[in-house]
Amino acid sequence: MTRLFSHFQSSVGSKVLLALSGLGLVSYVIFHMLGNLQVFEGPHALNRYAALLREMPILLWTARVGLLGIVVLHIVLALQLSLRNHRARPIGYAVRRYRRASVASRTMAASGAVLLLFIIFHLLHLTAGIIDPSASDRLDVEGHRDVYGKIVHAFQNPLIVALYVVGQLGLGLHVNHAVSSSLQTLGLEHAALNRLFKAAGPSVALLVILGNVAIIVAVFVGIVR
Amino acid sequence: MRFTLNIWRQNGPNENGRFISYEAYDVSPRMSFLEMLDGVNQGLVANGEEPVAFEHDCREGICGSCSLVIDGIPHGPDRGITTCQLYMRRFPDGAIITIEPWRAAAFPIVKDLVVDRSALDRVMQAGGYVSVNTGGAVDGNALLIGKDQAETAMDAASCIGCGACVAACKNASAMLFVAAKVSHLALLPQGKPERTGRVTAMIEAMDREGFGSCGNQYECEAVCPKRISVRFIATLNREYRRAGIVESALPNASESPHAESV
Repeated sequence: MTRLFSHFQSSVGSKVLLALSGLGLVSYVIFHMLGNLQVFEGPHALNRYAALLREMPILLWTARVGLLGIVVLHIVLALQLSLRNHRARPIGYAVRRYRRASVASRTMAASGAVLLLFIIFHLLHLTAGIIDPSASDRLDVEGHRDVYGKIVHAFQNPLIVALYVVGQLGLGLHVNHAVSSSLQTLGLEHAALNRLFKAAGPSVALLVILGNVAIIVAVFVGIVR
Repeated sequence: MRFTLNIWRQNGPNENGRFISYEAYDVSPRMSFLEMLDGVNQGLVANGEEPVAFEHDCREGICGSCSLVIDGIPHGPDRGITTCQLYMRRFPDGAIITIEPWRAAAFPIVKDLVVDRSALDRVMQAGGYVSVNTGGAVDGNALLIGKDQAETAMDAASCIGCGACVAACKNASAMLFVAAKVSHLALLPQGKPERTGRVTAMIEAMDREGFGSCGNQYECEAVCPKRISVRFIATLNREYRRAGIVESALPNASESPHAESV
């Protein structure tokens, strides 16, 4: 067991944990987006879905605590690796030209930081209702918490819309490099499938951005009221 | 042709370095980059100045000695070649060219453009070898190896250990180097006896030497003079995972080999 533990302490082992935790978070992000798309089915569907999640408090809190644990692990590992990488080149180049590295891969730390700030803002805004408490916790006609009304109220504000769109761009940029990079770190490589692995990051990023931004824009332009 | 060169000059490992500008006159477009530097050095010696130290040996692209970052790219603007195979016709006349050494904590500067790459040797000593029986030499081709497997192993084995992958990497990671060595030996039957221990030992050595971790940006592949593919990094990651599973099942060295299993 100690041998297995020490295996995960090396740079490659840490990266495997970073990749697995990241992929876990990406799957949550997809699930979250699919759930939210029910806003297009109207207030009844979305509020019932929200109520359904709250009817299972043990599952809900296990998921929340689990996600928090994964996020903390992901950030701690990322900081550890960044520190190590920083130490590996104390004096940089006077002239630096990249040939291959994508913009997304070069801005992982920045996009990660934007994403973290956005997540904190999002939790304080829509989950806890601390930012903008004017719309929190009304009940709809069926007695469920009016999540639909909350979303509609939030995204009529251009400032909130702008912050959410920036957050989504940070998310897209991060996921764009992250997914394909994780697959490489996990050693997934095959001549017949490499194109698929390479396209995985941009495809997932595009899917998540389109889904989430569709909700924001639909409310803002008044399609969803 | 004539060029203005901004060259990193540093007297010793613990001294401060700086860029000094030199003019290279009467350069023939047929000269290699190193021959152009030879010309500059001749001028410096004639003036009683200290010549620019740079590493070189075979000058035919196979030894891995030459190691210059030219205008921000290890081995210069052409792909799949070492610095010694880069010709001055590649540059416009009158160009200003910046020349820097490989920059990594694991590669301390010896002098000017020469860095100490023995960190890569120590990574090799940790596991980049195979065990061979003494006695009479084995007949050639006595051990049959599939064509595809031999070709793939050769693709990895073409690494000349120049360290351009480390120099190009944002994180100064030696993953492509270690990946090439581990893949090469893991693919061949001669490498099988040490297969499991090798990858763990080499990655531990890589971390110990202070190289960074891989960010999967693939800058290494883009500058590799032997065009070694990053698919070998995936192979290395698989080998490491395999070693983790196999090694965690092995008994500890302190346990008696004859003890009954619990």
